[in-house]
Amino acid sequence: MPPAGLLLEVGGCLRLFGGRKRLVQQVRAGLRDQGLEQGASLALAPTPQGALWLGQGAARLSSSGGAAIAMTVSACFDLPQLHQALDALPVAALALPPKVAQRLEGFGLVTLGQTRRLPLAELTRRLGPPAMALIARAYGELPDPRPEFVFPLQFAQSIELPAPSDKADALLFAARRLTAALAGWLALRQSVMAECRLILAHRPTPQNPPATELVLGFASATRDPQRLERVLRERLQRLPLPAPVESLRLEATRIEATADSSGNLFDAGDGSGAAGEAMAALIERLQARLGAAQVQGLAPVADHRPECATAAKALSAATGVATAFQPDPAAKPRPFWLLAHPLPVANRDGRPSLGGPLSLLAGPERIESGWWDGGQAHSAAPADLRRDYFIAQTADHRWAWIFRDLKPPGGWFLHGWFA
Amino acid sequence: MGTSAALSPLLARPDIWRGDQFASAPLPVLPSGFADLDAALPGGGWPRGALTEILLDGSGVGEISLLLPALQTLRAGGGWTLLVAPPFPLHAPAWLAAGIDLARLVIVSPARADEALWAAEQALASHAPGAVLAWAPRADARAVRRLQVAAAGSMAAAFLFRPASARSEASAAPLRLALAATAQGELEVELLKRRGPPLAAPLRLALRRPAKVISRESPREYDAPLAGSGPALRLQPQPLSA
Repeated sequence: MPPAGLLLEVGGCLRLFGGRKRLVQQVRAGLRDQGLEQGASLALAPTPQGALWLGQGAARLSSSGGAAIAMTVSACFDLPQLHQALDALPVAALALPPKVAQRLEGFGLVTLGQTRRLPLAELTRRLGPPAMALIARAYGELPDPRPEFVFPLQFAQSIELPAPSDKADALLFAARRLTAALAGWLALRQSVMAECRLILAHRPTPQNPPATELVLGFASATRDPQRLERVLRERLQRLPLPAPVESLRLEATRIEATADSSGNLFDAGDGSGAAGEAMAALIERLQARLGAAQVQGLAPVADHRPECATAAKALSAATGVATAFQPDPAAKPRPFWLLAHPLPVANRDGRPSLGGPLSLLAGPERIESGWWDGGQAHSAAPADLRRDYFIAQTADHRWAWIFRDLKPPGGWFLHGWFA
Repeated sequence: MGTSAALSPLLARPDIWRGDQFASAPLPVLPSGFADLDAALPGGGWPRGALTEILLDGSGVGEISLLLPALQTLRAGGGWTLLVAPPFPLHAPAWLAAGIDLARLVIVSPARADEALWAAEQALASHAPGAVLAWAPRADARAVRRLQVAAAGSMAAAFLFRPASARSEASAAPLRLALAATAQGELEVELLKRRGPPLAAPLRLALRRPAKVISRESPREYDAPLAGSGPALRLQPQPLSA
């Protein structure tokens, strides 16, 4: 709520709290306890927007007045009172959209009351319908329904270890209680978790941080405790701990709602079923130990430069992304393996030689491309390449893809293998 | 020497293999797509749930082309393919053109050799992928045995690529082949070990090669390409001006 405000609907609960006066006292006491007393102002009004503006106006007065007013309370109990109070409010005190505030200032209007006295049609034309609707809501001339505030789902649970330990197995055993609790908590809420955090607290010493944090990401959101545990085991086994751990805390940091609330009876066959699940679990496990960059998918890129035609694709969901790229049936043959860097090939009497003379079987295929991106887009590929590619057979009859560089200094290079 | 009556029911058991016949139990296989090869492989295809060791030196022999029909079959069933520590980066357009589903292809490129073996073992033990292709130039007999044990429980077709120097080593893989390319563009497949009688002569498979082979009788046409007598090749050697 900009700039900073809290709206409470209190009309329905006045009797419960013993009337307006008692309620205001309780709210003030609550603010005082939380240290928010300074600069806070309370306003009671029949409309939410009106209450907000009254509060903003009062906060402005108290800050400009300089005097340390503990907490102002402005209260209006019916619409005529509210109109009177709003009319007196300076426009500059309100958190209006900057453009509207600027216009009003340009018109020489200081208070809301002055604004309201202008012809409605003219004002609407100049300020725009949204600003007019805002004012009308504040004055109670338009209904102002507000969405209810929903607390975000949060899970955090800690466990003290019976004795400090730095053994991965012992930590995993203790963490099992937390993971089981989290899995049950997620199942109750029909939610899944994409990321969670395990905080391992140790005895604070001057040279050590008080806790080690372990962030566990999942290839696809899950609430399977076994999957959680497998990933946790991989990470814990390789986690260097500065000191024995005294307590564990598990927090779910990314929680997502899920559509299906029960397991599939039959595998749907599109990767969403058991095979896809198992594959996602495997990918996670490999990534947990080897690193995400070491376990990747492959995506083709429409670029003539062989170096740029392949992109690594992050494997995140259980079902891969279908590529829109269609292979051209008339395309020239391309090798399965492409060397990361073309390998210079010896040149014997004008003929390329790779442990024996190469016999050229097809070619040349001219590939001339990349002058436009100046080598910026792909560090691996040279900008502006001009090459004649040949399909060649080595002396031991293996199938190679070689090229002759047409740009100086030239020369023959091995670039791939037709495996 | 005849088999005694008491012994014959025992010998009929599917898990007993006699050296002079193919294993009789129906093995889960993945058809290789080559009729000659299928006929020579026990069960009529690449074994699933068992390790297949492929020995070759260098790349470009046709090792991927040999497995392509099987991988395409796998794609039809929605299976995933996992490549562990491939010798070179993959060129995506070629794999796509070969009919491989890139959305179900996972490439694991660990930094160390022991991590590659670990990854291959995990993949096989997880029962998730339909095929695992692993390159392990320095795998020892113990590592191969571990992979075979991991493969045994799964339905995955497991292929382990090793250099030809491993030929004389003992191996736990029930199927071992050695590959070599021929001058005529064929792939020579030598079955070093299979569940069945040894195969006398190597198989010669006609693979899809990227180009036609020039007959070896006239190997010099590159040197005299413009004479008009050789095959219609448009190769024009030009002295490279530095």
